[in-house]
Amino acid sequence: MLVCNARGLLIRPPTSVADLFVARLVARLAIVIAAGAALGACALPATRTAPFRERPDAADAGSLVGPFDGRVADTTTKAPIAGALVYGAWTLERGTALTEPAGAKEFVGSTDAAGYYKVPELGVLPRGVRVTEFTLLVYKRGYIAYRSDRRFADLGPRMDFAQHGNQVLLERWRTELSHARHLRFVGSGTAVAALTAWELADASAELDGKRQQGEDLRPGRGEGQYVVAAQLLTEADIKKRTRYDGGFETGPLADEPDTASYSSQHFKALGRPEAWDIALRMWRLEPGKAQDRYEELLSQLPNTVEKDEVASRSFQASEGEIRGYGYLDAPRGIVVFINCGSNQCTSPDDATALARITYDRIKQLLPMALGGKP
Amino acid sequence: MSAGTARATVRASLTPRRRRRRALAAALGAALLGTALAPRPARAWEAATTHAGLAEQAALASRLHKRLVSLGFTGGLFEPLTIPPADAPALLGALRLVSPTHGAVPDARGRQAALGWLAAGAVLADVPAAHGANHFFDPLTGRGWQMPERGAIDRLSDAVRGALGRAALPARGVPAPDWIISRDNPFNLDAFASQYAKAVSAPTPGERSRHMAAALVAAGAILHTLGDLGSPSRVRGDALAHFEPLGGGPDDLGSRFERIAALAHGRLGIPGPSRVITRARLRDYFTAKDGTGLADLVARSYYSPNTLPAPMRASSDATPVLARPTPAPPRRLNLMAASRDEGSVLRDVKGTCLARYRVEHNVVAFSIDDECMLEQVDALLPEVVAYETGLLDFLLRGELQINIGGELAVSGKGLGAGSIEVFVDDDRGVRTKLTTAAVAAGAEALVRVAAPAAGVRVIALYRGTDPSGEPLIAVGAMPLTR
Repeated sequence: MLVCNARGLLIRPPTSVADLFVARLVARLAIVIAAGAALGACALPATRTAPFRERPDAADAGSLVGPFDGRVADTTTKAPIAGALVYGAWTLERGTALTEPAGAKEFVGSTDAAGYYKVPELGVLPRGVRVTEFTLLVYKRGYIAYRSDRRFADLGPRMDFAQHGNQVLLERWRTELSHARHLRFVGSGTAVAALTAWELADASAELDGKRQQGEDLRPGRGEGQYVVAAQLLTEADIKKRTRYDGGFETGPLADEPDTASYSSQHFKALGRPEAWDIALRMWRLEPGKAQDRYEELLSQLPNTVEKDEVASRSFQASEGEIRGYGYLDAPRGIVVFINCGSNQCTSPDDATALARITYDRIKQLLPMALGGKP
Repeated sequence: MSAGTARATVRASLTPRRRRRRALAAALGAALLGTALAPRPARAWEAATTHAGLAEQAALASRLHKRLVSLGFTGGLFEPLTIPPADAPALLGALRLVSPTHGAVPDARGRQAALGWLAAGAVLADVPAAHGANHFFDPLTGRGWQMPERGAIDRLSDAVRGALGRAALPARGVPAPDWIISRDNPFNLDAFASQYAKAVSAPTPGERSRHMAAALVAAGAILHTLGDLGSPSRVRGDALAHFEPLGGGPDDLGSRFERIAALAHGRLGIPGPSRVITRARLRDYFTAKDGTGLADLVARSYYSPNTLPAPMRASSDATPVLARPTPAPPRRLNLMAASRDEGSVLRDVKGTCLARYRVEHNVVAFSIDDECMLEQVDALLPEVVAYETGLLDFLLRGELQINIGGELAVSGKGLGAGSIEVFVDDDRGVRTKLTTAAVAAGAEALVRVAAPAAGVRVIALYRGTDPSGEPLIAVGAMPLTR
């Protein structure tokens, strides 16, 4: 094992002045050589100047070597996003004037329940290799990925990445966005490819001129105030009602991307089976279409019973370990459907209570003006 | 006018776009802190970022997607193609040296999208580093890389670093237009043609996937070799411009120009092509007698740091002494403006900065600063993509027509002597040869054969030459609908 601060040398005691002089000279030379060798062996890897700051509020450049930390949240709701892929990759290079890649080091992790991430410092590197770049990628299905070096919107250089205390705001995926562009954006490699493989077919269809037909508008836009499902229910609301003491991974449901008229929010219980999960879906439509959507849910979902307890109309549904509650807010053209696992919602009343919370929030966000229009 | 007023005037005269560029140049300069005091030379593009982005943009603008789809790779540029690691351990090993965030690294099974394989080739062209010496070409002398003469202190430093393990640089390189057909180049034109033909003729989907991935790697490397000639220092015999400290330690010598391109555009910010360049011969994309090759264009249009006009006395009758005939500065320089702190700028007809010049102690000195480099990068990249797109289309140019009536007939135009093979795919994707025939030069009706009784797709493959005598692989495909 190499001890980096070792200095001592064992030298035979001198027996004369000449011996003393020679011994001292040899000792000094040996110390210089040993110290040089030790310093060389223990030296930090050669690194370029990082193109990002140490902290968001600092002027100093950060370090490419790391460590890195920050927090990931939803752009719209500012709610933390748990379980997002956190992928860090260091680019290594060697050679002089004519250079070549010399390997890449990677870190694969995820955000914790509060959306925080940590990427450890880069370890020891082989001699002659230098660190030229660090890139952080944050990805969660249903959101536009985040890169520390580029923005997705215009592919321009990102200037707000910081080594410590970095804030990552993930924007929800929208149907009008290009999967071809997104796949190029996220890059490659085993960890990322596995999570983004579902986008390949859509990306290819785009190049064939067969874009996914959908509403090319921002989700939750509709008329008036901007509202998405994630704004209607929080982790705290759920815990207060159900006394759940665990954490959630939150984000849009993976089955269908958000559109102008549809959005979703998934509360996936961390380390627990599906019976602890909650899913919230919200449609914001023209009043007539909202009525149709409500009827569709009512007729197609299993074991539905109309209750008319919340908003204009409402129903309960159930199947196995999952309870459901849906309602129609006719004046606002909003339909909401909540799925709640039976471990989380131990009684139908829990699902109803959560539905009431979402309806109250809708009323706050979209107050009715005089004349009955939101 | 005071210096402060002059600066304010310059600032006021900047367009918003130019102001943004100045801000970006300042930010990039900050990212290059370690080299802030160094002279500022230029060199070529970075492989993993700029070259990968150039290849991607060329692919997106070319016929590659459609060609892949027609050959049964239904996802086109996003079709997952696999090279099993056991089949090509050296290739896959080399790709593991690259950061996956650059979009060119397959997963553990050796699988990635077709676009990723093309980018992989663009990255691997610089592996090993000595191959990078074959990406230079000076159209004036016909030479490639030549190890430059360095100063005494630099030579001493090189000797010390060499003793500590720095790899020695080759004394000479093969000129880029020759490198793409050199036998020493693992990704040469023959490698592309051979793999491309096998990607059409191999019997199983797995084999075809592997060969197509390999063909795209070779194509990406060829694009890289061409794209490098979009850098002024590589086409003006300015190898010395590749020895600038970049801040990552004493061995990290490269160019500020390259770093600026990589920092400003990376892989993802590379622009699309300004147009698509069409040439009759492969070499003409690099250099042509009529001066329309990429190397010709860049060499005559831009300076590089060590081929700037020589310093001269600041007098109205003095004319700049040029290292090369073009670009020629105007007969009269604006010496009054050049006496200010920021100096004056030489611009081309499109307004792109070519160099900055300043008068100090009655001497006019020329230089290329960060802002000027950034303007050059912005002007050069769309042109480079235009040439790369054209080259990719050139590699894929051969097309055959298939008609199925009572018989299956294959025709093509502009073909030299060669051979043609016809295949049919069954519903599992297994490809079986129907026939092989010789093709006479100039023939248009190539072969006739009885239409297959079963199958889902007919494929035709021609191997030969085009009217210019250039090697050509031509393909055609037609789904069988019954």
